[in-house]
Amino acid sequence: MDPSGVFATRYERDQALVRTRKQLAWLLAFAVLLVLLPWFVGPRLVATATVMLITAVVVVGLQINTGYAGQVNLGQAAFMGVGAYTTGVLALKLGLPFWLSIPLGGLAAAVFGFIFGLSAVRIKGFYLALTTIAAQMLFHFMVLNLPSSWFGGSNGLSVPPATLFGYRIADESSMYWLCLAFAAIMIYGAYGIARSRHGRAFIAVRDDDVASGMMGIDVVRAKATAFLVGAFYAGIGGGLWAYYVRFVAVDQFTLLHSIWFIAMIIVGGMGSITGALIGAFAIKVVQEAITSLGPTVVEQFPFLSGDIVFATMNVFLGGIIAAFLMFEPRGLMHRWNIIKRSYRLWPFPY
Amino acid sequence: MPTRRSFMAAAVLAAGLATMGASPAVAQKNYNIASMADFTGPYADVMTQLTGARWAVARWWNAEVGKDLGVKVTLKDYDHRYDAAQVSSLWPGIRSELDPIVVLGVGGPDVAALQNRLPDDRIPMIMSTAGYGFAWLPDPWIFNPRPTYGHEAAAFYQWYHKEKGIDGPLKIGIISSEASPAYVDIHKGSQQYAADNPDVVKVVETVYTEVQPSDLTTQVHRLARNGAQVITVQTNTAAVVATKRALQAIGRKDIPILMSSHNGLPASGKAIGGIEQLEGDYAVYGMAVASQDPTTARKFYEMLREKYNLEAGWNAMTVMGLNQSLIAVRALEAAVAKVGADKVNGEALREAMVSTTITSEQTFGILPNVAFNTSAPFPLEGLTANIATVKDGKHTIAAENVPVPALNKW
Repeated sequence: MDPSGVFATRYERDQALVRTRKQLAWLLAFAVLLVLLPWFVGPRLVATATVMLITAVVVVGLQINTGYAGQVNLGQAAFMGVGAYTTGVLALKLGLPFWLSIPLGGLAAAVFGFIFGLSAVRIKGFYLALTTIAAQMLFHFMVLNLPSSWFGGSNGLSVPPATLFGYRIADESSMYWLCLAFAAIMIYGAYGIARSRHGRAFIAVRDDDVASGMMGIDVVRAKATAFLVGAFYAGIGGGLWAYYVRFVAVDQFTLLHSIWFIAMIIVGGMGSITGALIGAFAIKVVQEAITSLGPTVVEQFPFLSGDIVFATMNVFLGGIIAAFLMFEPRGLMHRWNIIKRSYRLWPFPY
Repeated sequence: MPTRRSFMAAAVLAAGLATMGASPAVAQKNYNIASMADFTGPYADVMTQLTGARWAVARWWNAEVGKDLGVKVTLKDYDHRYDAAQVSSLWPGIRSELDPIVVLGVGGPDVAALQNRLPDDRIPMIMSTAGYGFAWLPDPWIFNPRPTYGHEAAAFYQWYHKEKGIDGPLKIGIISSEASPAYVDIHKGSQQYAADNPDVVKVVETVYTEVQPSDLTTQVHRLARNGAQVITVQTNTAAVVATKRALQAIGRKDIPILMSSHNGLPASGKAIGGIEQLEGDYAVYGMAVASQDPTTARKFYEMLREKYNLEAGWNAMTVMGLNQSLIAVRALEAAVAKVGADKVNGEALREAMVSTTITSEQTFGILPNVAFNTSAPFPLEGLTANIATVKDGKHTIAAENVPVPALNKW
């Protein structure tokens, strides 16, 4: 709900992302903060933020596919891998610049995703989940068994660093800015898709594909498009990953990674772009905090051996996610909306 | 009779002398070592063995070697969950906050995430595992004290071929998996050696299974029917157990299994329900065998246990922890000798590594003589491997210092 006194008089206004001047000011301040981040924090946090941005792009794609269009997808890591490999090959063998190789990586992933999206036309739910797991396996075995001169096979692929006008984008800060630029474009695009007729078609198909078909929505097209768009986002994330790590191997894109991406949209809130961002941020923060806290605890309390501390931390991480699913299954975004509405209605209960 | 003033002067002088006596003769320069670990990933159950060995070596070295050099090392463990993404986000913080002179790695994720960063950061990494063909590149910053799994297996093939007086090539079957690029790389090494040495080894078949196979009777029966004289399983203990069960099922006691260090005889024996079931099987690796035999390596381990609080058991993981940390501290000694105790950095340590031979005596027999150079991440010449077996139900050494043959890249 909008703040008191703010109401839309036109459709464009009703669909606007930023509805008040105060919101615009906050958004600009946040954007400036993100741009200036490397000057205020250490390299560890910049690196963490870079990984968060890459993850956010992939998870936003999954949100469009699963959260908006309702298509279960356990192959998002494979789509990311296709993007990473394509970007790597284009950069390494053709010497394409990053601003070309990353989008082409996204396109390759989109084509791969689209093929599996076609199966979503005929099946759904549990069966679709199995099909997307097949995508994960297919990607793995294709990379390992195709001639190693194509994708490196078991040797993996070393990717040259991105360059712009001769400047090498390899240090933490410049890589962060590169990922920030791509993430900003992709996230803005995601909000656009969610508010477009395609986004509304996705939601309709998710809620009832039979009814939406009867209403004139091309269900086949909507489902396949959802996979195409979701995989494109994963491919862009994969391309960024390839330039960030500068080495690509199949075991960086496993089923476990796909499950983590699903966990992120569940924690953040299904069916919300902001929810996907919050989920990616929250899970990564907890993971990184636990990883950072472990050595310090062992150092400060040497009688607690490393295995006990680290294992406990992992149980704690799993516990947080389990507790979340039990007590707030609609995600952090739902909780945030409740808080916002209560604040705006206060002191009235409704 | 002393006056009050002379008494005070004497007291001040005595206090000054006492203070000087209490302070160290030489201030020790501290160098940090980043200790990568997987406490919450797939290798969590064995990680304390690896890190425990690293810490014990650091304590020993600080007390008995570093003290005289005016140098000490401090380790800090980092849990990376065996995940390249976690290594990627951890590394910038490690580099800036810890400023290590060397990193002790665990496995594939460290290598994947850092192999293109370490040359920029000028910090070397030392692994404990055997090397991989995919990392066989010149000018390395990541070093394996052991050659590739393919090299180690080739050492066994050559030894076994001669030992058993086999006419014609030794026929081997390989049980592997495509679940991991590392597994694929391992069997490619053996295939390469067989292709280059058809008079020594012939691969009858490479069988691909799921990563944790439960039944391999059909596949093993096929290998036996095709004349396999040895079955190589360098992937994991589950594959060893399934292969052994299959050999037992078809009644073939004459075909030994060849294993590596990470899925070696004690670990696989434990998984199958008793090491005596692996009677006559073999494991090969380029480091000390953690057997009950009274070797120099064993004595060093016992010393660490008694004097330096090493709690890890005598097993392959502990030996792996010992091997990489010994290489690190011996390289540090060499670097101190070259540039001075207070001027060592990652680059100096790497330079010392590639220009100094670390002798087997320096590693107490944990490793053979190790001579790195810039042509590969692992030593390529003068290498030897040790072969372990089970004899009369006891884990023992079958052969020591078996020469490792040269292999072409694959």
